[in-house]
Amino acid sequence: MKRWVLLLAVLIVASLVLAACPQPTPEKVIETVVVTKEVEKVVTKEVEKVVTKEIEKVITKEVVKTVEVTPAKGKCAPESFDQLGEKGVIKIGVPVPLSAPGSVTGGQAMQIAANIAVNHINEKGGIMGKYPVDVVFYDTSGLPERGRAGAEYLITQECVNAIAGEYHSAAGVQEKEVAHQYGVLAVFAETWNDKITAAQYPEVFRIAPASSMVAQADAKFFSDLGVKWVAIVAENTDYGVPASEATKERLGKLGIESEIYLAEQGTQDFSALVSRIVQDVQQREGKKGVLVLITGETSYNFEEQAVEGGLAPAEDLIFVANQVAANHTEFWSNVPDGNYMAFRRVGVVPALTKDNPVAQRFIEDYKKATKDPDRFPESYAFEQYDALMLVAAAIEKAQSLKTEDLIAAMESWDSRENGFQGAQGIYYFLYGTKKPVPKDEPAWMWHQWPDPAILFLQYWQEGQPVDNACVIWPENYRTCGTDYIVPGTEPPVKP
Amino acid sequence: MWPLPDVLLHAMHFHMWLDALFKFQITGTYIVRLILEGLLIGVIYALMALGLTLIFSVLNIVSFAHGEFYMIGGYVVYAILHHYKGFPGLLAIVVAALVTFVIGAVFERLFLQPMAKGQVERPSEYAILITFGLSFFLQFVMLGIMGPFPKKAPRFWSFPKIDLGFIRTTKTTLFLGNIPLSGGRIFAAIIALLALAAVLWFMYRTWTGWALQAVSQDRNAAAVVGINPLNMNTLAFGMGAMLAGLAGAVLVTVFSWVPWVGVPASAKSFVIIVLGGMGSIPGSLVGGLILGVVESLGTGLFPDPARAQAYRDVFGLVIFALVLWLKPTGLFGRKL
Repeated sequence: MKRWVLLLAVLIVASLVLAACPQPTPEKVIETVVVTKEVEKVVTKEVEKVVTKEIEKVITKEVVKTVEVTPAKGKCAPESFDQLGEKGVIKIGVPVPLSAPGSVTGGQAMQIAANIAVNHINEKGGIMGKYPVDVVFYDTSGLPERGRAGAEYLITQECVNAIAGEYHSAAGVQEKEVAHQYGVLAVFAETWNDKITAAQYPEVFRIAPASSMVAQADAKFFSDLGVKWVAIVAENTDYGVPASEATKERLGKLGIESEIYLAEQGTQDFSALVSRIVQDVQQREGKKGVLVLITGETSYNFEEQAVEGGLAPAEDLIFVANQVAANHTEFWSNVPDGNYMAFRRVGVVPALTKDNPVAQRFIEDYKKATKDPDRFPESYAFEQYDALMLVAAAIEKAQSLKTEDLIAAMESWDSRENGFQGAQGIYYFLYGTKKPVPKDEPAWMWHQWPDPAILFLQYWQEGQPVDNACVIWPENYRTCGTDYIVPGTEPPVKP
Repeated sequence: MWPLPDVLLHAMHFHMWLDALFKFQITGTYIVRLILEGLLIGVIYALMALGLTLIFSVLNIVSFAHGEFYMIGGYVVYAILHHYKGFPGLLAIVVAALVTFVIGAVFERLFLQPMAKGQVERPSEYAILITFGLSFFLQFVMLGIMGPFPKKAPRFWSFPKIDLGFIRTTKTTLFLGNIPLSGGRIFAAIIALLALAAVLWFMYRTWTGWALQAVSQDRNAAAVVGINPLNMNTLAFGMGAMLAGLAGAVLVTVFSWVPWVGVPASAKSFVIIVLGGMGSIPGSLVGGLILGVVESLGTGLFPDPARAQAYRDVFGLVIFALVLWLKPTGLFGRKL
């Protein structure tokens, strides 16, 4: 009985507190608030000046300090070709998610791409024609702790000379620390978190876009379509949280309101969240948007349940599915009602690969390896292939296995004209140890490939292959003569 | 469309602070929608939990492989409908139920019966380890057979186009006024309700059901009156596995299916059976519904939209902790 009374008392107190919270602000306070805001602005500007100066000092020190690679004890990779042993095999570590809660879809695709890269390198006898490459996979499950353990294992137990891979930022953020700690070259394939390169470690390179680059593209896409409000549905991870915040910030700068809804990776039932978003959408005016920043199979669950719950693409509701929608076979089997969903594709589309023999060869082998003649490689497959090819090319260029030499070789690709031709495009890195990131550029531009293509595509027929989906943004890549195919209609030009 | 809840909300002056707390207007229709969605998924939770309850009450063990039977049930339906186009969905569900029953019964005979016969030195630890082992084994076997990529069975049927004003349908959705309800979930809930009714009838109206109840109450007394407790163990484990398999079989058209899909489902079953009272059949039914509704309302009404879905499991666990605190035996548990 006492417990019930206590519980009742707690509930009453909680209700009173909640009821008291939303009291309207008294009118008199408004003037004070305005004055306070002015004072805040002045103070903020002053603080910003001081902080900027301090950050500049730290960054300058950091750049000078980190140019020298001082490996921690435990690294066992051979530092010269003489130390490679009889077979002369060079080992490269490939951390990828191959089990839940990571995106197994992404991990498997990257594994296939990595194996194709190894075949392409080794069929000519290996690096420099005599040193074959062996990749060691490590299943990180997309988890930070497994990412750290994996990098540690690959470097100290498998004695890899470089790391090339990873899909999830959560794992990648940790792996970069280990790579830096041991002084091992790491080329990140599909990790978008700004922190990966913003830490400005000399060993760390990235060929995927940074979250901020993608956020900028997302915001511009919605802005160009005249969207007034966006629901950002993101996974509660090191990728989803910063990506959603960066998108919200950029949308705000373009005058678009937005709301972030986080969900755990692996969530199955989204019905209540969908109801909540529908409720939100119904009370907004003008065009609305939904942006899915959840990866893997979890995104399929949300997208199908969204349609069933009344959040289907419409003339005034632009629905941007997660990029895994580009895997059309899987997408249509899991989201059968996802017609007219748009999706972001980072990386090339078929039309952009026609003149690139490296891409053509990879695409052909990828289709054979997946036994799916309709499967165009996903962006993460392209990135994994290119990450390994880059490492191999860097070793070949450096004629050395020392990390310092490999970094120098990677940094020597410093312009588009002077870059490395990969399957996705020409790789180059504007800023690094020899050329620090200027003050007016974001810190994540360090060892960052600046040119990843960020396109928006849209399906307009049920079961449509990705090759036939329309590129709707940016304008210069448009393939169907429209910026949005209104549900129920067909595009003016068919690809 | 749902005037009564709206009037109630107004009368209680809830609108004032609800609208201020949330960034959107809370309406009665919205709350009704959340409750209906919670009930639909809650029925499936109840079906899963009933299986676990049956196993616990008769064998006195907790099966950590319960979620894997749920996973297998879904995969069986997917495989049948994927390979045999036009195969009746209901029949596929029956096949999934039979397959999971057989796997459960065979496993019990081979690995759990030595424990019941007293041939195992530390039975409690043995039960935990052996069911954990089964869980991993089934996950990796299915990973090998089905692969890691998400699968989804085609929906069992699509709604015909109906427009009766208050009731409308699209291919996938039934609209009650402004409330959309997924066709797949409605179908799953109906099958789950039928299965629950069948199990209750079996338990309370048949001799075998009484025998199962007798064994759960007192194994020795049951044996004295001619009931073979070992056979009842096999039947209970098989039925428990079958109920989990049924839950999976009806949900494989609703959710994307991967080999580890059973892990969260299994965790929810544990919460429900403790919430409802270990070994209590009505407890697992009510517990399932409560969990479904609490999760739905919690997600829909939590003030911070960014955290609402991420805290979904927490809402259920708060109720779970409260019930354990106020009534440690669970809602319908036997008094200690």
